[in-house]
Amino acid sequence: MKKYDVIIIGAGSIGVPAAYYLANRGLKTCVIERLSSEGRGQNRAAIGGIRATFSDPAKIKICQMTIDIISRFKKEHGIDVDWIDGGYLFPVYDTVLEDKLKKLLDVQKQFNLNIDWISPAKVDELVPGINRNGLLGGTFSPEDGSASPLKVTGAYLKLARECKAEFYFDEEVTGFEKDGSKITAVITNKDKYSAGIIIDASGAYARDTGNLYGLDIPVDPDCHEAGITEPVQPFFRPMVVDLRMDEQSANYYFYQNKEGQVVFCITPRPQIFGKDTDNTSVFLPLVVKRMLNLYPRLRNLRIRRTWRGLYPMTPDGFPIVGRTKEIGNLFLAVGMCGQGFMLGPGLGKIISELICDNTTDYDFILNQLSLYREFAGTEVLK
Amino acid sequence: MNRIDKHPVLNTTQDRKKVNFKFNGETQRGYENEPVSSALIANGVREFSVHQVEDAPQGIFCANGQCSHCTLIIDGKPLKSCITPLKEGMEIRTLIHLPELPPDDREPENFKPLNLKCDVLVIGGGPSGLTSAIELAKLGFEIILIDDKDKLGGKLLLQTHKFFGSIEDCYAGKRGIEIAALLEKEIRTYSNIKVFTNTSVAALYKDKKAGLFIDYKNYALVDFQGLVISAGAREKNLVFPGNDIPGVYGAGAFQTLVNRDLVKSSDRIFIIGSGNVGLIAAYHALQAGITVVGIADILDDVTGYKVHADKIKRMGVPIYLKHTVLTAEGNGKVERITIAEVDDSFNPLLEKAKTFEVDTLLIAVGLSSIDEFYNTAVNFGYNTVKTGDADEIAEASSAMFGGRIAGLQLAKILGKDVEIDESWFAKAEILKSKPGKIKSEPVVEINENYTPIMHCYQEIPCNPCISVCPSGSIKLEEALGNIMDLPYYTGEECTRCGMCIAVCPGLAISVAKKLYGEWAEVVLPHEFIPAFGVGEFVTLTDTEGNEIEKCEVIKIQLNKKYKTYLITFKVSLENAAKIAGIRVQDEDKIKPLPKPVFNYIPDNSILCRCERVSVGEIIKFIKENNIKDANQLKQIRVGMGACGSRTCSILLPRIFSAAGVNWYEVTQATKRPLSIEIPMGAIINEESGETE
Repeated sequence: MKKYDVIIIGAGSIGVPAAYYLANRGLKTCVIERLSSEGRGQNRAAIGGIRATFSDPAKIKICQMTIDIISRFKKEHGIDVDWIDGGYLFPVYDTVLEDKLKKLLDVQKQFNLNIDWISPAKVDELVPGINRNGLLGGTFSPEDGSASPLKVTGAYLKLARECKAEFYFDEEVTGFEKDGSKITAVITNKDKYSAGIIIDASGAYARDTGNLYGLDIPVDPDCHEAGITEPVQPFFRPMVVDLRMDEQSANYYFYQNKEGQVVFCITPRPQIFGKDTDNTSVFLPLVVKRMLNLYPRLRNLRIRRTWRGLYPMTPDGFPIVGRTKEIGNLFLAVGMCGQGFMLGPGLGKIISELICDNTTDYDFILNQLSLYREFAGTEVLK
Repeated sequence: MNRIDKHPVLNTTQDRKKVNFKFNGETQRGYENEPVSSALIANGVREFSVHQVEDAPQGIFCANGQCSHCTLIIDGKPLKSCITPLKEGMEIRTLIHLPELPPDDREPENFKPLNLKCDVLVIGGGPSGLTSAIELAKLGFEIILIDDKDKLGGKLLLQTHKFFGSIEDCYAGKRGIEIAALLEKEIRTYSNIKVFTNTSVAALYKDKKAGLFIDYKNYALVDFQGLVISAGAREKNLVFPGNDIPGVYGAGAFQTLVNRDLVKSSDRIFIIGSGNVGLIAAYHALQAGITVVGIADILDDVTGYKVHADKIKRMGVPIYLKHTVLTAEGNGKVERITIAEVDDSFNPLLEKAKTFEVDTLLIAVGLSSIDEFYNTAVNFGYNTVKTGDADEIAEASSAMFGGRIAGLQLAKILGKDVEIDESWFAKAEILKSKPGKIKSEPVVEINENYTPIMHCYQEIPCNPCISVCPSGSIKLEEALGNIMDLPYYTGEECTRCGMCIAVCPGLAISVAKKLYGEWAEVVLPHEFIPAFGVGEFVTLTDTEGNEIEKCEVIKIQLNKKYKTYLITFKVSLENAAKIAGIRVQDEDKIKPLPKPVFNYIPDNSILCRCERVSVGEIIKFIKENNIKDANQLKQIRVGMGACGSRTCSILLPRIFSAAGVNWYEVTQATKRPLSIEIPMGAIINEESGETE
């Protein structure tokens, strides 16, 4: 049996950064991943947005840490992860949404977030050529931005390996051995491992992993489809989020990445639950119609690729983070609800501090994101 | 203008409308509706765009709508010029780095989604797709047949040479272009086949629909019960320094420019690969008046049919066996290429390099099946068959026959009660056969009677000579009992009708007779407009191209049915049986430079052409990061371009092994839709004119 200080299940948005921060603190760390390389679960499907402008203290704190890390990543580690501080823009075309967002602004400002209401002219300046017909303005948060999930996760893998973290790819966790309230061994299809602490970062598969160690983890993935265009010269900077709904879809969002490609994603309505990531015919006509109505200039931009990814949803739209009562050496970092990429770096750092330093600084996060909460509320801006 | 104005086979006096267009501000002329890329090449343009990586010039590469190297700014929009028809007054500019998105801010109207329905969707209107559609149509199925070109026929449209195979099963002796016309005509007689040309399949979806990009303008979703995948193949690429400079492209692209678009794309070419594609490209080049400096193949034997290779050698094209390409070099375009002999482990021996001055290097190192549609279809559980090159790379003769079988197989899967004749499967196998044994050249006695001499002694699936002989005096040996057997002349009934000479796709039959004294006459096929007249002396060769003697032309006849000249020569009796062909290319035009000139840095070869990632960069990344999953190469942009790794993925095994990683332990990169880029405006059918 191989022995580690920490075993992380899942080499995705959460597991890979966590492995780096833990290994960097000197813990003997390994990551077990059923797929062949890092980020091949849902990280590969993330489009790259990173924002801290939420309305709850936990996600705000975690993502502020992520922005801090990612915006300095090149300087600190010498690796370009395509960070762009383009901000997040929520354009508004109806007074109901205007009221809702303005009310939210009051809450967000209490957390000292840099976000404000902007005029239609300012919206047009940020997204030249956006449909002005009925545009009332929008909220804009200039400190939010984007980065390449592919490059961020690849960079963390490299850094983690440099700190002697070990990665077992193409290896699936098939069971756990327990002694009372402690996991004594993680069993895979290839080997057996033990560690002082086991971090479950199994993303869309959290419910399945939970079944293996005997806890009901309320994570059920739903499907979202995304696409990317050819690259063109930069023509707009922010992540544009259209919160309106139509018969078949809820919100959709898009931005232009550092390569010049526009990346976009839509939320189907009603949600499609399951783990099927095959493309369907519904997506393109649906998302394109909506995007062109909002931003006609995209009409000549050619779509290059499309894909489907999973949002590991919890009943209330918030992640599950922290130790469990039933199993003393199990730490959960699951149910990121489609925001794993932006939560990952900050959360990885927090997990390393929680494990190494016994800090109480993040108790408010652990309380809010506890497995034992009510799961009653819903996230305002999912 | 670099146009082909004389051609022994193709009609060069087509009535095409001339139009004016502007390229980088200068007025140029071209033909209406020809691909913009062809018009530019005819005007001498080689550089289409400048890549943002290293400012590298980009030229035409696939000429087939698959890669994106020919992208230009056409009337303000970045478009692939090889699938954009030329129009009067077009404003065309070189694309420098990334294009600017035109600020077209008109509010879109809501246009109708296009929805189509059929029993069977046939993807690809080449030889196999057409014959399978015909079989399915006969059984009453409603069919949608799509093809990404403007005419049906697939690669048949590029094949100006006569076909191998048998007359009864696959039109042997006819030219590909003629067969395409026959099949298209037949297709159009079926009211239950709906044809969409200039149409690509963008994606197959899980919910049993295909997304079509129709006329490169509109997007339609089509419902189907069954699928025929006859999407053909793509040309394999090669990795060597300079493999990305304008002037290096595939043999298929070359045939497209020359045979379809009648553009004289080159003056002097060199070809890598001695398979049938490379050999026939050499033949097509010669017919278009282009000098073929040589053909090189890394193997120690020709991989195509021997009759093909012999034919090319007789015309004066040297074939360098056990040679590989070292470099292609030049200032912004190919100016010279260097080949070198290889050792037994296929490593180039730099001291045995030869440099040739050419303007084009054709890559003809084989084809790989377009298999992604079939794999997806199987994965989604569709009723599907694959046929032609999409199934297995073989001659078009085999594709046509295989297509019929595939059509019937799909009909069976869809519940039709059909019987497929057992003998068809055996025939299909024979038509797919690789060339067989090479037998020794028989000794033929020349006497006062006409005697056909078969310079054909490698087993290949081909027999039109026995079908056309009016006296039935050409027969096949009975060694194998099928059309792979070699033909022989039975006796004394030859009337010198010339049919066997004219029909033979290999130009491998001569007819000889003793004249008087030490003289004989020999009749040879000639698929060129004769550059000589009666009474002139012409260099004749033996079967494999060795010069025999200079002989006097005594008669020139044209066999109109097979568009082949029969040239009669007065030759010395002792050589009459040996003489097999006419030299058409002077030896002094094809010599290497006295000393090789090259700069060989293998790491500089480009692997991912779309994103310009070099072999050196990739090997370094694999080694440094312990890469075991080809998806990880996306971090350095490999496979992220327009083609989605469809061009370069086939080269990856070599790169991984060069980095010390066993390819069989490497997870392959996921191929995702779309298979062709589609503008957002086209997805909602902005140009269809029908509003919601």
